[in-house]
Amino acid sequence: MFNKLINDSASKSPWLYHINSGSCNGCDIELVACLTPRYDAERFGFKLAGTPRHADIVVVSGPVTSQSKERLIRTLAQVPEPKCVVSLGSCPKSGNVFKGSYSVEAPLDDYCHVDVSVAGCTPKPEAIMEGLYKAALILKEKREAMHK
Amino acid sequence: MIILRSLFYILIFPGALFTACFGLFLAGVDRKVVARMQHRIGPPLRQPMYDFFKLLGKETIIPHAANKIAFLGAPIIGFVSLALIMLFIPVGGLTAFSGNADMIVILYLITIPGVALIVGGSSSGSPYAGIGISREMVTMMAYELPFVLVLLAVARKAGGSELAFSMEQVANWQAANGNMLFQWSMIPAAIAMLLVVPAEVGTQPFDVAEAETEICEGPLIEYSGSALGMFKLNSAMKMFVMSGLFVSLFLGGIRTGFVVCDVIVFILLCIVVTILCMSTIHAVTARLKIEHLFKFYWTFVAGMALCSLILVWCGL
Amino acid sequence: MIQHFPVLAVMLLFLGAFCVEIFGSNNAGIRNTIAMLAATIALVLIYALIKPVMIDGEIISYWMGNWAPVSGYAIGIGYEVDALSLFFALLVVTTFWLSGVYSMSYMAKDHHLGHYYTLYLMLSGSVLGLVMTGDIFNMFVMIEIMTFASVALTAFRNENEGTLEAGFKYLVIGSMGSSFTLTGIALIYGQCHTLNMAQISAQLCTGMTPTTIMAFALIVAGFGVKSYIVPFHTPAADAYMVAPTSVSMIFSGMVNKAGVYGMIRVLYIIFRAMDKSSVQMLVVIFGAVTMFIGVTMALAQHDFKRLLAFHSISQIGYVITAIGLGTALGITGGLFHAMNHTLFKGLLFLTAGAVLYATGTTNLDKLGGLSKKMPKTCICFLIGAFSISGLPPFNGFVSKWLVYQATYTKAVETGNFVYAIVTVVALIVSVMTLASFIKVTQAVFFGQLPAELKKTQEVPASMLVPMYLMSALCVLCGIFYPIVNKYLLHPATEATLNVTNYIDKMMGDGYAAMMGAQNIEVAPVQFSYWNPIVWLILFVIIFVAAFLVITGSKSSRGQVLNPGVKYDPKYATFFSGEEELFSQVGGSDLFWGFKTDWKGYYKVLEGLHSGIVTDYAGWTVMATAIITVCMFIFMR
Repeated sequence: MFNKLINDSASKSPWLYHINSGSCNGCDIELVACLTPRYDAERFGFKLAGTPRHADIVVVSGPVTSQSKERLIRTLAQVPEPKCVVSLGSCPKSGNVFKGSYSVEAPLDDYCHVDVSVAGCTPKPEAIMEGLYKAALILKEKREAMHK
Repeated sequence: MIILRSLFYILIFPGALFTACFGLFLAGVDRKVVARMQHRIGPPLRQPMYDFFKLLGKETIIPHAANKIAFLGAPIIGFVSLALIMLFIPVGGLTAFSGNADMIVILYLITIPGVALIVGGSSSGSPYAGIGISREMVTMMAYELPFVLVLLAVARKAGGSELAFSMEQVANWQAANGNMLFQWSMIPAAIAMLLVVPAEVGTQPFDVAEAETEICEGPLIEYSGSALGMFKLNSAMKMFVMSGLFVSLFLGGIRTGFVVCDVIVFILLCIVVTILCMSTIHAVTARLKIEHLFKFYWTFVAGMALCSLILVWCGL
Repeated sequence: MIQHFPVLAVMLLFLGAFCVEIFGSNNAGIRNTIAMLAATIALVLIYALIKPVMIDGEIISYWMGNWAPVSGYAIGIGYEVDALSLFFALLVVTTFWLSGVYSMSYMAKDHHLGHYYTLYLMLSGSVLGLVMTGDIFNMFVMIEIMTFASVALTAFRNENEGTLEAGFKYLVIGSMGSSFTLTGIALIYGQCHTLNMAQISAQLCTGMTPTTIMAFALIVAGFGVKSYIVPFHTPAADAYMVAPTSVSMIFSGMVNKAGVYGMIRVLYIIFRAMDKSSVQMLVVIFGAVTMFIGVTMALAQHDFKRLLAFHSISQIGYVITAIGLGTALGITGGLFHAMNHTLFKGLLFLTAGAVLYATGTTNLDKLGGLSKKMPKTCICFLIGAFSISGLPPFNGFVSKWLVYQATYTKAVETGNFVYAIVTVVALIVSVMTLASFIKVTQAVFFGQLPAELKKTQEVPASMLVPMYLMSALCVLCGIFYPIVNKYLLHPATEATLNVTNYIDKMMGDGYAAMMGAQNIEVAPVQFSYWNPIVWLILFVIIFVAAFLVITGSKSSRGQVLNPGVKYDPKYATFFSGEEELFSQVGGSDLFWGFKTDWKGYYKVLEGLHSGIVTDYAGWTVMATAIITVCMFIFMR
């Protein structure tokens, strides 16, 4: 019973940690827009956490510049299990308009497992919310897999 | 028998279990009300409960710079002391334990969760936590002065010519003479206490210690999993304990004759106090700076409380 | 048989002092054996007195050379041990015995240890003699031995910077205190023609003359200097800081307790001045100022031992405040706090000594992260820190709780708002004490380990054992306080308030009644804030349950992969993604929010603590003048 309660809760209180790996700030603003009264992601339990140790979902935006790559990987390692990685916008997925630059190392899935990708430049808040919600469901699956 | 009864008091009502459940509920109310005030739908009332259980299911990472015993022990000490405080607060005329001068016991027990947070944060070895604990301690020094003044004023008012440091005596005095809040000499003290409550709990304008945007949640920065869950539970419980303390100090005189009704009235009043002094202030203010917080408490709030104390000493 | 014990204990310590110098100055084995033998026998002799004095309520008297009073006049030196004396004697023997054990390895690296143990035994013997003597001139002699042994021990490590300066300050201020006392004693002798305290007390029943008032004021000031109340506190900080830590522990555990004992003896028993509310007020105000200035100075310190020194001053303020109230509750609280202060401050000094021994520094800005290298010391330190901050269920809580209650009861009873303010000050000082110990915790034991301390090791067992003993006493006194109250505090409180028994035992039955001294009935102080045993059990139950919950979930911690290889980044401290760096929030950086708000206050204090001996001597004279003037106004 106790385990079931924990499993159920896993998808209902996903805390986000947002990493900007060289993004133009567009996606970042849209992510914050999700928390505003108009979209109100908090009704699903989403909350922005201040440190990776508290996070369930890590949202990565930006094309993974070479300066930020190492920091990104280190921070991702510090998130406790079960965790999800969501790539936000087209940049971490493909490099977008920065592709081919000497200082850009996209895509993100070269360095870690990405659970959900929300594409778009920038994605709409509705799309972001859907992506995050999917990530929350994946969290629950991961938690169940951890305690089989 | 006495052991069994104490066990019931400590573990179930009004101790650990009741305080934890109701504290989480109260935290949910707080979040919901803040959301409604900002025109949002807000999370369900059970949200803090989900948060807590989710955190129980997560991995607890102990950083290599941390001292394991202090790191894991701190949240538990905080939890135990919070469960103990509830035993001294009369829940609707029902006090689990009462002794003489239990107000001072409460005053000290209530600092323990803060100390636990500080020791835990400090033992994690993070410099962010270092800044966080410094702020937490300064906050503690800041609200302690008005808090002490309020308690002394209430004790003097309830005791008359003799000393009444006992919560039960305060409750009895209020049952006989009407609520402390409606004594006009006590109104400044009540306002001061309303401002002490959010600082003690650490909600929005006074959450300098756990500022998540500037110092990454301060003392909690390295915490994860169940240890973090315990700390979240502690702050929810603190919300209940502090609002309960306010209710029993200033609104404790309501007696319907049935213990159950009294308890329900107590709970409702706790919700009102939480909304009044935590959610409302949370929704309309931004975080203070630490030196401003200190100055605010030692001048304005302490002044209000001192005002009350002097009025009471003049026999009003 | 039993009446020889007190004087034997004192004699043995002095004898040991000479023997150490004669036989042991070149041989560590003989030296240590003699010192520990003398200390242990003294300990046993004093503990043997618990049953007759504390439980059966006897008063032990002893006339040196059997010079009993002749036709109503005491002509010999008398030893008189009542419950109050024994209470302090117990603190004294416990402190010096533990300090002796600790010294064995702590001091082993020093030179001229023969001198050290000689001075150590002299100091122990003199303080023990001071609290047990019944002769006021003998008391002065003991004060003198105490002062000069202390000065020498302060400057013992005189190769270090600042020791000689501290010794000099101590010498000047301490001698001034002794001179005040001597002048007072001379005046009293001229007036009463006796030096026996019991007889002086009986003779003063008839009233005070201007001469005795002058003597009273001077003796009070003299003991004020010995107990380091503000503004006599100035030599204490330096002396505690530079003295070897085993000696710092003796200073805070016995030497300033000797001052407190003298204050109680003079105020309550010899001059019986505490029934005047104005005198009470004066003492309480001195106490309150002492605790506040002590703690605010402590908050600003950068050195572990210096911080502890200022806390000693502050905690003595609590004791003085409580005994100044003149109520049974107040005296009980004051005595309990004096006892607790001996325990937790001794413990804290020992941990400071352990840190100094292991790392070579007590600078709060240079330490950090020692909890991983010295876990046992860290736990002892935390117990001491929580005790001194008065967190339940440690001992400091119970005594502070009594002090608050006593002050506020006094305020309500007399309707005097000043006592209410004193209660508030006492409560705030307690929080500030907590704050400054949080600072030490963060700066010394937690946080990150500096690279130069990577090789630090835990201290040897002979240093750990005294720490364990003191930690255990801290916890036990906090939990079983009713037992402490019944067997130690209550008899001592009663002895403080009842003069006639003290006089009669020394001068023969009926002497006190003849001179007009009367007994006051004291109801035993009952106090309980909870039923300790039941609560302890439940505390443990909850703790175990919660611990199961927390360890039940999956937790993992970082392991060193290979020596020399970096840690797994997962277990590194979060630095916003950067690689882990050394970054320690040290002692001076904490509480800047507080410090900016108190800038003006600290500027004033900094100006006052100029470090110039003439200034300090000036303060001492000024404060003595104030006390004298006040006494003349109050006692007329």
